[in-house]
Amino acid sequence: MISVSMNGQDLQTPAATLAELLQRQGYALDAAMACAINRQFVPRAQWPSQALAGGDRIDVIAPVTGG
Amino acid sequence: MHTTPSWTLAGATLHSRLLLGTAHYPSPQVLADAVQASGTQVLTVGLRRLQPEHGGGNAFWQRVKALGCRVLPNTAGCHGAQEAITLAQMARELFDTPWIKLEVIGDDYTLQPDPFGTLEAARVLVRDGFQVLAYTTDDLVLAQRLHEAGCAAVMPWAAPIGTGRGPQNPYALQTLRARLPDAVLIVDAGLGKPSHAAQVMELGFDGVLLNTAVAQAGDPVRMARAFAQAVDAGRLAFEATPMGERQTAQASTPTLGMPFWHQP
Repeated sequence: MISVSMNGQDLQTPAATLAELLQRQGYALDAAMACAINRQFVPRAQWPSQALAGGDRIDVIAPVTGG
Repeated sequence: MHTTPSWTLAGATLHSRLLLGTAHYPSPQVLADAVQASGTQVLTVGLRRLQPEHGGGNAFWQRVKALGCRVLPNTAGCHGAQEAITLAQMARELFDTPWIKLEVIGDDYTLQPDPFGTLEAARVLVRDGFQVLAYTTDDLVLAQRLHEAGCAAVMPWAAPIGTGRGPQNPYALQTLRARLPDAVLIVDAGLGKPSHAAQVMELGFDGVLLNTAVAQAGDPVRMARAFAQAVDAGRLAFEATPMGERQTAQASTPTLGMPFWHQP
């Protein structure tokens, strides 16, 4: 288990990769969303191979209204 | 109906010079109706954290896609160049577009853009292949630097975001147009009434970007139509070259042949 922060919430996870974490947290991998780890963009194609480390800060974003 | 010729923005040929935001409408249907009434071809959208129970943001995104407009994602709320760069990269993948409305905020109270962070991010994003539409103040030198950096459009505010106060410094806007004749200049933020849009279009701006003035109007759909007509009228007036101002009155009706006149 490692400790990470996801969208500002601390959590413990056994997930080894970003894709695994997303699935464990209930995200549909084909949803309209994009990801960053520690403020660095992680392209969708890299989600399955992107290893997680303790202390990682993960952001998952989606389209919203905007001006 | 557009009465003025098409124009080019970031490689796209457009007929409408009105860019519209998607926030603060009373309902999704009102947004859709306002978009149609405005004739806009470009819609701005934002990006925010997603909780899994909210379904991936698909519902909103599907509604926007159905409107058939180009999408201009923004980096609203970013407070530094790196935040904005990362969000732009995420937006490019998510919306499959190199277009980005670059916003780097320097002051939370006025939402005044950070000139240093904006320019830094613009340079990086242009190098990375983005079409950068940079939100900025009406500062001339910053606008020049953003244009030189390769921004597809420089977008000065008329007034702080959401205030609806209209052009606070028309002289500065006029100066930007005069000093940057080759830049695409779009007034972004602070417009409240169609007359404000007409005013800046008469100055020769290439377009206007607005949101709250339509979304928060009593009747957003009618207001969208009003803004569309004002933008067209202002552009048409600019192309027609308005008359110069005079210091003194000058009669329109000929004085020669005036009845009842007798030489004293």
